[in-house]
Amino acid sequence: MSLGDVEVRSKSRQIFYSIILIAFSVPVIMAFSMLVLSSFANQMVTNFDFSKVRFTLRNWQLLFQGRIAITGGLRENIFLYLISTAIVALGVAIVTTLVGTLSGYAISRIRFKGRKFVLLMMLMLHALPGSILIVGVYFLYRLWMPTSLNALRYFSFFYVIVARAALEVPLSVWLMKGFFDLLPWEIEWSALVDGASRLKTWAKIMMPLIKPGVVAILIFGFLAGWQDIIYVRTFLIDKTLATFIESNLEAEMAYMPLLAAAATLYLLPTIFFYISSQKLLFKVYAGGIRR
Amino acid sequence: MTKERYSRKWELWAFLAPALVVVVIFYVVPLILTVYTSFTPLRNWNIQRYATRLIGFYNYQKLFHAIANDPSVRAVFLTTAVFVGCTLLVNVLGGLILALLTFFVDKRTNSIASTIWLLPRMSPIAVYGLVWYYFFHGSSVGTLNSLFLKLGFIDKPVAWGQAFIPYGPWSVIIFVNGLVGVSFGMIVLSSAIKSIPSEFVIAARVDGATDWQICRRVLIPQIKWHIMYVTTWQLLSLLTSYAHTYLLVSWRLVNKSYGTPWALYVYDLAFTGVFDQGLAAAAGTLLVLVGGLLGLMTLRILGFGKLMTEPRGDI
Amino acid sequence: MRRLLFVVLLCAAVLLFASVEDSIVQVGRTLEKNGINEVRYAVWGTGDPNSVLRVLGIVEAARRINDIWAKNNINVKVIIRETRYELDFTQMYQEFLSKQPLGTAGDFLVNSYVYIAPLAEEGYLLDLTPYLEKHKELLDDFFASHIEVAKYKGRIYGLPQDTEARPFYIRKDIAAKVGLDLHGLDQKVLKGEFTWFDVYEWAKKTVQLGASQWGLIHRRGSAHPDLMQFILAFGSKLYDPADGKLVFDKEAIYKWLTIEWVFAREKLLPSDMMAWDWAKQVHPAIVDGKTLFDIGGTWYWTEWQTKDYYTDPKTGQMRGLKPEEVEQWFYYTLFPAGEPGKKPVTLSQPFMWMVSSKAGAQNPRYSALKSTYDELAFLIVAKASDPEINAIHSIISAHLPVGKASAALLANKEWLDKLYNLQIDLDPSVKEKIAGIVKATVNPINAKFLSDVSYMLDHTNFPPIHPMYAKLAAIFAEVVDYVLRGQMDPAKAIDYAIGKINADLDLKASVKIINEIPKDWRFAGK
Repeated sequence: MSLGDVEVRSKSRQIFYSIILIAFSVPVIMAFSMLVLSSFANQMVTNFDFSKVRFTLRNWQLLFQGRIAITGGLRENIFLYLISTAIVALGVAIVTTLVGTLSGYAISRIRFKGRKFVLLMMLMLHALPGSILIVGVYFLYRLWMPTSLNALRYFSFFYVIVARAALEVPLSVWLMKGFFDLLPWEIEWSALVDGASRLKTWAKIMMPLIKPGVVAILIFGFLAGWQDIIYVRTFLIDKTLATFIESNLEAEMAYMPLLAAAATLYLLPTIFFYISSQKLLFKVYAGGIRR
Repeated sequence: MTKERYSRKWELWAFLAPALVVVVIFYVVPLILTVYTSFTPLRNWNIQRYATRLIGFYNYQKLFHAIANDPSVRAVFLTTAVFVGCTLLVNVLGGLILALLTFFVDKRTNSIASTIWLLPRMSPIAVYGLVWYYFFHGSSVGTLNSLFLKLGFIDKPVAWGQAFIPYGPWSVIIFVNGLVGVSFGMIVLSSAIKSIPSEFVIAARVDGATDWQICRRVLIPQIKWHIMYVTTWQLLSLLTSYAHTYLLVSWRLVNKSYGTPWALYVYDLAFTGVFDQGLAAAAGTLLVLVGGLLGLMTLRILGFGKLMTEPRGDI
Repeated sequence: MRRLLFVVLLCAAVLLFASVEDSIVQVGRTLEKNGINEVRYAVWGTGDPNSVLRVLGIVEAARRINDIWAKNNINVKVIIRETRYELDFTQMYQEFLSKQPLGTAGDFLVNSYVYIAPLAEEGYLLDLTPYLEKHKELLDDFFASHIEVAKYKGRIYGLPQDTEARPFYIRKDIAAKVGLDLHGLDQKVLKGEFTWFDVYEWAKKTVQLGASQWGLIHRRGSAHPDLMQFILAFGSKLYDPADGKLVFDKEAIYKWLTIEWVFAREKLLPSDMMAWDWAKQVHPAIVDGKTLFDIGGTWYWTEWQTKDYYTDPKTGQMRGLKPEEVEQWFYYTLFPAGEPGKKPVTLSQPFMWMVSSKAGAQNPRYSALKSTYDELAFLIVAKASDPEINAIHSIISAHLPVGKASAALLANKEWLDKLYNLQIDLDPSVKEKIAGIVKATVNPINAKFLSDVSYMLDHTNFPPIHPMYAKLAAIFAEVVDYVLRGQMDPAKAIDYAIGKINADLDLKASVKIINEIPKDWRFAGK
């Protein structure tokens, strides 16, 4: 429900609220648009002094050639990095969704001992950041890693995906439970009474009904995987766009506008994904905590 | 066990197993290993050499010695308390205000606003730091300084993160971190508002309620639980977040003592200079204990039990 | 005379490497006998964009080895399967650190010498000492001091790849305006006749006369390495090899911080210097003539040419400097002595070719042939140290050569011309990749700068190779910032720093605090 459903609001009021909204958003808008602007300039655009700034497409050209500076540097394959990043992001999205929808359903629908404990544990796990877990995760990686370089590459992707997805599982479980809680019991009941197994019911009947929730958690998982730096840097053999940016950003002699272009490139897929699933995302946290 | 109950039990496990397996392997086991590591002198990732040496509580000793004697550690604690408290307020209130505002505007403005507010969440962390580094830069290079100079609010550039200690650095880190968290609250509460049955609002309108009264009497009361959920979730996040302000301290935009919350202090120990993972594990364990305790306390106060509704139905 | 010297050195170089070539052939035969026809290595290097020879040097070395094998009918090839080059030294070091135990790090690491200590301590690097004992001549060409810093606990873990110095830059045009006679000033600094007391006087005069906005600019962010020169310039040190401890000399540090304090309070140095932005503030201020003095690095010389920092007064737009302009405007000396009676200094942070202790682990029959693969890895870095490669690297990246033979090449105009026209014998892919840099940086003015500034290496120092040094450096950075901003006076800053040292048990054990704050020491009357 949005207010539009309810009645026609006074236009002036709406405009007033819109202005306040945009006003709050000004710092973010300013800061990020300067970043994007810088990617088209010969120096970082950081203030309103445009007298010496020259606009150019050179940074983007260099970026797509995989260069880190105007002269010098080696050419790297930016597209490969994009693909690696995408693999990790998609992997995390899928794993998180799968795990969350399965367990979310069980917690929502089935009474079992330790149910409260599981939910509480999921909430508490949120207190553990990746930087603390990294040593333990490293131990395990070392324990299980295969020896051949090729196998290791694939194993590393797999490992990073599951390890990163694990960090999103608590959120995923809570969300999905919330969505399942919203569905009426009757549909399930009839399916179960007809002899279908829980698993079948879940797959064939329940899942299609919570498509918005599934899309939402896919997006969250994707964002988490796309943005990850710690796990990716420690375990992945291949480089991602995030590690590319990070390993060149803080250097004293970094050519910033080029990195601004890389950062803008980095943001584009995520913005795209978000906008295209805008409406669905907003149904995300529709409680399930009550009712 | 009857065949039916057995098959039901099996089914239950099929649903729960993936989550439990993943969580146990990548959360619980690493946590135990981390606690174990805090009793070893592990450094520089040299597991082979140090993992089997046990040094008892030496890392904790070092930690408490540092806390007792480091002139900046006290500042770190104070900063953490202020940082977590204020950012939590900013996040929850900000999220609430934004959710309410987006409720009252048209769909397109809504869509644009929410995309903008998600940008902090979508950025690579180093880039996010970079963006605010330029925004708050202490010279006329800085965006904020440049704006205020042009508007005549100030006549000399202000070093936002280094002046008016501790309020300057605190304001910067609260602002920078707050922006990331606000989007979380905004989305949750906004969805929550959307799932309030429209009858309530219509009824209020019919009675001639103003927007503010609708907020106070209808919307906010109905989303109390969501607010509580957001608060607890954010509290835990804030206690353990450091990444978004790390660059600001490292690039000297923000005063180090008053710009470093506890989580960043831990990170510094483990990942910079000497890679003393044993010490970092000890500091991390402490962080987790404190975080866990605070989280549990919050839930108690806000009544977690009522959060748990019974499952819909079971055959 | 010059040419004769050059020929002699070149012959010596050829002779020197004869025995290395023998080892190469031997290793090749061993590999061939064991049925290995391809050996793959990965190289990780870091640094500024023009220093790509840090990784391409290994590629070229591999090619030279392959050529030697081909000449001897040995059917083996070295393939460099991965060349990884990034700007950030520390990030690469961190990644190497976490991946080396897993075996997924590069086989070669080309990074700052400071990382030798921790890496060697954990056993992550290959001990090169036995091979160097077999090929003693290799060591002779390097500057002895640079070999010293490649050592950890007496064993050598790296070969010097390049070095640099930290000149004290002085603007010629501003000096002329205020009457500072630069003629022979570098000699005066060398003799200790021009000290920081004089720097202060001239900086003050310059700002008072309005000849420039600032008297002094230095680096931002961290105190290490440039500002550590202050401590050395007061005759102190950062490290005592006798007991292996870091040194915190209260007297020297007090004097250093007092200089910073005075300069900042009198507005000769920006009080927010530590927070300045490199690209938007620091370099533009220096090239636009906004400061008389600057504590910098040799790499600034080409940095100013390859990046747009200078605002051309004719067009109002930003551009890079021409080599002639750099030469016209910048004079350079050693870092002056702190006070009369002390000596001038400079600082170098050499880069090293390092070999992972697991180099080549991905190749077949590694466990059986480990010693062969190790030796081959050593031979690759030995070849990468060929004078020609080092000389090319020096001039295109404005670093200083690490050996006498490569220094001689830089002084040879014919060779420089050949290089500019890319008529040097190099792997074609390497040649293609450095072509752009060569065109932008190879010219007689830059070469002359490098050879003229080399004298500084005779007076150079190296920051300590101690695992805890990074923590100490971080504390210095913090206090310098507080002192510059006026938040702490030097005495309080020293107390604060000592407090931080004592709070960290590891650091406390590694640092010895000596001397006292001098009671009667006055700088500029303060």
